[in-house]
Amino acid sequence: MTDFASLFRLLAQHNVEFILVGGAAATAHGSARLTEDLDIVYRRTPENIARLAACLGAHHPYLRGAPPGLPFRFDAETVQRGLNFTLTTDLGALDLFGEIPGGGAFEDLQQDAIEIKLFGVTCRCLGLRRLIEVKRAAGRPRDLEAIAELQALLDENEGQAPTKGES
Amino acid sequence: MPAKDQGSEAGRAVVGVRPDPVIDAYKRDIDRTLLRENLKLTVEERFLKLMELQRFATELRRAGQQARR
Repeated sequence: MTDFASLFRLLAQHNVEFILVGGAAATAHGSARLTEDLDIVYRRTPENIARLAACLGAHHPYLRGAPPGLPFRFDAETVQRGLNFTLTTDLGALDLFGEIPGGGAFEDLQQDAIEIKLFGVTCRCLGLRRLIEVKRAAGRPRDLEAIAELQALLDENEGQAPTKGES
Repeated sequence: MPAKDQGSEAGRAVVGVRPDPVIDAYKRDIDRTLLRENLKLTVEERFLKLMELQRFATELRRAGQQARR
């Protein structure tokens, strides 16, 4: 199980610059779907990578799904040399993205992020419209239902009545 | 009960979401009553609810595995 509260606090209290994306961002916008991991796009500056590596290091990050015992070391150098990491940690599943398909890097998404306050900290979360755009651009069939739900949330936010056949 | 905070849109306005008949077909099956209930909650309450749901899913998986043994 992922301890979202502790992950948010950990990242925010270490001043890690990130934008919440994926299923957890959908939850922030009101989605009723179950998501099991925290997806974030992190800013790829050396300073931010150092902060990210430092704050996660104590929580035993390891490559999710990889066999145990691999010589994986999560530090600033590893993050700098890589881009996207799907991790398990003591606090749960955490996916770190340097870039996302259809969305790009932190700097590309920043202008469409909103600030959310939760668990005593403030975090950036991708805005609902951009989240829909990104999911649509990714073009994954498994996202179709999630996109439909996000668009229904957009309708609800904008006070649009469901069209014929929608509940 | 945490204070209500839905966040505020910042930055450029993203262009309108273009219609897609496939997405529209999926939208017909979305239970909007669940969404409306969630929209009454704060962002923090939505995550607390998600964590409860995760606990429930974990327990169901455990029970399912036990039943198959």
